[in-house]
Amino acid sequence: MPPIATTYTEEELILLLKQQSRDAFNYLYKNYSAVLYGVINKVVFDEETANDVLQEVFVKIWNNIGQYDAQKGRIYTWMINIARNAAIDKLRSKGEIMRSKIQMGEDVVNDVQKGQKTEQTTDTIGLRKIVSGLKPEYEVIVSLAYFKGYTLDEISKTLEIPLGTVKTRMRRAMQQLRAAFNN
Amino acid sequence: MNTREYIESGNLEAFVLGVLTPQEEAQVRADIAANPELANEVASIEAAMFNYAVAQSVTPPLALENQIWDAIQAQEKEQHIPELNITAAPVSTPVNGGGDTIHLENKSIPFTPASKNTTWRYAAVWVALLGSVALNAVLSYQNNQQKEQFATASTKINEKMGQLIAEQRSMAQVLDIYRKRSDMMADTGMQTVVMHTVVKGHPMAATVYWSKSSGAAYVMLDALPQPPKGMQYQLWVMQDGKPVDMGVLPLDMTATASIQKVEKPVMNGQGFAISLEKMGGSPSPTMENIYVMGKS
Repeated sequence: MPPIATTYTEEELILLLKQQSRDAFNYLYKNYSAVLYGVINKVVFDEETANDVLQEVFVKIWNNIGQYDAQKGRIYTWMINIARNAAIDKLRSKGEIMRSKIQMGEDVVNDVQKGQKTEQTTDTIGLRKIVSGLKPEYEVIVSLAYFKGYTLDEISKTLEIPLGTVKTRMRRAMQQLRAAFNN
Repeated sequence: MNTREYIESGNLEAFVLGVLTPQEEAQVRADIAANPELANEVASIEAAMFNYAVAQSVTPPLALENQIWDAIQAQEKEQHIPELNITAAPVSTPVNGGGDTIHLENKSIPFTPASKNTTWRYAAVWVALLGSVALNAVLSYQNNQQKEQFATASTKINEKMGQLIAEQRSMAQVLDIYRKRSDMMADTGMQTVVMHTVVKGHPMAATVYWSKSSGAAYVMLDALPQPPKGMQYQLWVMQDGKPVDMGVLPLDMTATASIQKVEKPVMNGQGFAISLEKMGGSPSPTMENIYVMGKS
């Protein structure tokens, strides 16, 4: 496996961000905007909203980097969670969460198709295979949970499967992802 | 439930995916804190979700970058700590009481026996009393408002102070590392061996500081990527053309830019190399995983 060349370590990135310079922003944007925008696009429906949310997310990262606590997790997990929460909040504030809950089935399918159509910036072909390779019954659960902000109970009710099964499928899905990325 | 069963239950996946109730989440957090095996599992699940997110990256529209930067600039201007509004409360503000303007002046009302115009006097006392109550209410409201403003301002100052202290601390750490490094460079008995990348297209570097006389050696990872899950860097010294194991490097080294003392004494050698090996190291380096190399 070839090494991923990182210009900055996580610690350096945090220091850099705290300087609040244009360079820091450029680096952050260059390296993380596509991942964050990808996450946001899994949650919200239209481009305009996605753009608004991305802006909100960068402003939040910028303002809250001082509060980031390395003890509580990696910086990328922190940033992705900010993006995910901001996008889900936006959905809720627009009352779209209800719509999305009603249309759940189609939306998830649409999202999967949209994800495949959209040009992805992933540089390895292997990764794309993995995404489409996640079994549909796993993909649905991961999507509802991670990108739509559903609770366990809501997933169980919407898909009409027992709570225990939802959790087991989550485990299987993650194992499939882990196995795929470790190779 | 033992650890194995706990992991198999899918509860940790549910935790990372954020579908648990706040109570369940708190429980999982406590469980993780008590059991490193669970913490490791959570870290792997998080890494898998990160990779999943990376795999679905979408490049944002081109114009967005500048637009977002402008937004950040604009809100930073607004965000400066508000000036403390400590102008004194306007004590002499006229207060409207019963149609008359009452000024806050210390006028004593002489105690005279009741006379014919008692009614007027009572009325005047009531007006004064009501005016005073109203004035008190207004002053107390203003006072509270100022207290609030003051409190917000001082919380903001405290937050900024906290940030500055944290910043300073991490700068001090970095500085300390550079100081150690320059001490070692200045030491004439200490040889500096810079190891450069051997992987085309991936600029990487690490340095060994080595005292031939004492056998003491120190290693610093100047630019090496974080090792992938389950892998670890291992240091080798080339002795008569053969790599000799000098031990594995701590996992957090890439993240903290620290200088690490090499456990084993290095008595002779013609060069150093670092390779990526499975956790715990290998008896001999995996050739295609040698990342950096340098001659002494």
